[in-house]
Amino acid sequence: MKLSTLAWRNINKNFDKYKMYFFSLSFSVFTTYSFLALMHNKYVQMAFTYDDRYQSLLTGFGIVIMVFVMFFLLSSNSSFIRARKKEISTYSLFGMTNAKIGQLLFMETMIVGFAALVIGISTGIFFSKLTAMILLDISLASFTGELAFTIDPRSIYITTALFIAVFAVMGLSGLRVISKFELADLFKAEKIAEGRSKGSLFILLISLVLVGAGYYLASSPEPAIVVPASIPVLVLVILGTYLFFWEGLAVILNMIKKRKIRYYQAANLISVSAFSHRMRTIGAVMATIAVLSAVATTGIATGYTLYSNTEKNTYEIVGYDLYFYGGQDELLDDIKEAFDIHNTHVTQEYTTQLYTCKPQMDNFIVKGAYRISSETDYFRVYSQSVYNKLATISKTKNKPIAVNSGEALYIYPYMTHDIAREIDGQVLAFSDRNISVTSILRANFVSFGALHTIVINDSDFEALINSEDIKARDEAGVPYDKVTVFIYDNPLRSAELDRDLNGILAGKAGNFKTAYTHYDESLQVFGLVCFIGFFMSAVFILMTASLLYFKQVMAAEEERHQYKMLRKIGMDDSLEKKVVSSRLLPVFLIPLAVGIIHSIFAMKAADTVVFSNMIPVGNSYITVLGYSAVMYGLYALVYGVFYLITREQYSRIVK
Amino acid sequence: MEILKTQNISKIYGSRKSSKQYMAIKNISFTVNEGEFIGVMGASGSGKTTLLNILGSIDSATTGRLFIAGQDISSLKQKQLARHRVENIGFIFQDYNLLETMTIKENIILPLALSGCRAEIMEGKVNRLADDLGIVSILDKYSYEVSGGEQQRAAACRALITNPKIILADEPTGNLDSKSGRDLLKLLTFINQEHQATIIMVTHDAFAASYCRRILFIRDGEIYNQLHAGESKKEFFNSIIDVMSVLGGEEK
Repeated sequence: MKLSTLAWRNINKNFDKYKMYFFSLSFSVFTTYSFLALMHNKYVQMAFTYDDRYQSLLTGFGIVIMVFVMFFLLSSNSSFIRARKKEISTYSLFGMTNAKIGQLLFMETMIVGFAALVIGISTGIFFSKLTAMILLDISLASFTGELAFTIDPRSIYITTALFIAVFAVMGLSGLRVISKFELADLFKAEKIAEGRSKGSLFILLISLVLVGAGYYLASSPEPAIVVPASIPVLVLVILGTYLFFWEGLAVILNMIKKRKIRYYQAANLISVSAFSHRMRTIGAVMATIAVLSAVATTGIATGYTLYSNTEKNTYEIVGYDLYFYGGQDELLDDIKEAFDIHNTHVTQEYTTQLYTCKPQMDNFIVKGAYRISSETDYFRVYSQSVYNKLATISKTKNKPIAVNSGEALYIYPYMTHDIAREIDGQVLAFSDRNISVTSILRANFVSFGALHTIVINDSDFEALINSEDIKARDEAGVPYDKVTVFIYDNPLRSAELDRDLNGILAGKAGNFKTAYTHYDESLQVFGLVCFIGFFMSAVFILMTASLLYFKQVMAAEEERHQYKMLRKIGMDDSLEKKVVSSRLLPVFLIPLAVGIIHSIFAMKAADTVVFSNMIPVGNSYITVLGYSAVMYGLYALVYGVFYLITREQYSRIVK
Repeated sequence: MEILKTQNISKIYGSRKSSKQYMAIKNISFTVNEGEFIGVMGASGSGKTTLLNILGSIDSATTGRLFIAGQDISSLKQKQLARHRVENIGFIFQDYNLLETMTIKENIILPLALSGCRAEIMEGKVNRLADDLGIVSILDKYSYEVSGGEQQRAAACRALITNPKIILADEPTGNLDSKSGRDLLKLLTFINQEHQATIIMVTHDAFAASYCRRILFIRDGEIYNQLHAGESKKEFFNSIIDVMSVLGGEEK
């Protein structure tokens, strides 16, 4: 019989075992191909014209995926070979050399790999339009191009070459696994590889301290602490997680074993002891999965929250559909003409003069990040009625206010609790009156180029104008700009109008911003982050779950004789079901739970850094947690399905 | 008192209609009284292990009926059978069949755990019995940390822990060296005499069989002969050898 015939027969006869292996192999190919095709897609390349950063972001992400796919394939390959240990030893017994066995396995890998390549790439091509559409749809404000169904030969070559290389490495690593088998193993009853770990209470405590310290740093409300601590937090938590799974979990299992009343129930006794015996071989895998799922959930939840808040954030920052200051005389007509050309109805338009003032006040510094002094800083100042007019027009959530005489509302775009505490009650001394800060607001929509803004009562404003405390021109006598704000129909849908407006205003106005431009840019960044997050999560979740599957199926082969024995001494079917369930459930549940706890803290940190500091979003942490709850649900669902598949296969093997 | 009774037990392999039927056991009937120590002997393939598996309800007979303590086992359903095995039967296997994921102690209490016993009762029982069988020192070790003889003593302890009506031993000395084998046989005798356990032991070793009080010889699925132990162990051993040589001689 030729080796190739044997290889072919093995695949046919082992189809059950090959099924999952084949699935994960095909999925890897599909992922790789889709990704490469996406990067080479001319629409995608065209769409991300703003910045090279996006291209490099995609490339960097591509490398992460490849490395992970490699790791996954090699790991599942060696599990798979171990699961076939008996068969391989039999070949060896009948005089096949290791080289020949290696050749046989290599041939099998190649046959299956080739099929996986074909299936993976064809699915990739089949879904290429869909993946590109999803990416463009979530990343671009108004994508109008027609996406074609594309076959990208370059991606096919690269994918094929890449995977043939991976298969070659798999073949070699398979040879290494085979050479470790002892022929004598065949004659012994199948013994479970000794993987019991006594664990160490000390290391458990250390791991908890490490993770706890990481959590503590991550949950600090101060961005100034969280930002520089992000790398140490990662190191602390990842190290702690690995230590926990390597040594700590065994200690916990031993504690469970000490609680005799529960532990001595048949199902617990069998499953807990079997699980703790697997600790050493599966600890690292569980730790890796916990870390990966934490990364994936955090990334995607943060990205998605940013993404879904893009419109809101845009208005928090820009305030209106369009504003500009300076050059009203020449520009207003052109702007109106542009609106006419694009048939856009302007619903609100308002122009007002900008004023500043420089009252005497205390100089102070808050945590190095914020400083204010009467010498160097000035305030943009509004009367209550002008402010209220702007607040009503603007698309922010700010409402009109009432300011009493002698009081002021202080507005600062990067307000924190510390700054608010410090500035509240500050007295601003003008030539004939004192005004004290009585309320605080974090907002950006009335700054128009200034850092500090106050709003005062109309009569105070009138009086201060007269006393020339509030000025409409600078020290050299040049008048300050007027500002004009617009609200118009469909502001986030018309790329052409925005292009024209940019053309009119660029270089002529003192400064300007359109909601569309800001929206489009942030959508690209967050959309891409979000897409990458989805893609990465999908890859992580499916691959980690199938990795667990392989580990458990391999374990099932080794644990089979135990079940046989247990049935002999009186384990009935219903108990067997219970034993199998409680044997497998922790393997899926513990990494998932640890990953979720990690990401709850990671998101707290992301919230502190990203949301509270850069973009003001109300209750952002709760929002992110809400989105991640959906993510966790999906995660749990996929893991649940894999758990059921694994349980099914495991029960079949031990039957 | 009669503890076990078989009525015309047969076991047929292969489908009924096909001509390739193979009868592993043919119409075996015998009774066992409480407190007996019975050996089952026969050449390889004579059907002795099949018989033991049927007695232990691991395997079911094609025809015939099996009574244990007056209960008709052949009428029990799957779930009841599992319960019956836990409560009434203790097994000792050639390759010990201890779970390597558990300590010796956990292995011993396993049948009790399977029958839903309370933790402190299990503790009490295992400590008393382990003391009795001299394996207290290895209770917290794992099976791969102790010798084959010790593993088999632990297996015997596990078989005895539920106070079963019958202990079934399948070649218990098969994997042991002669010294450990002798120790185990002494242990079985001790269990038989001190714990009044009924033991049925399959073996093809005449020396091991000489520890029994009665021996059933099986040939081609039928009871060929029976021997009862007399006063002298040596005499009994010699008569076993005689029957075996006849058995072996006729096979040629």
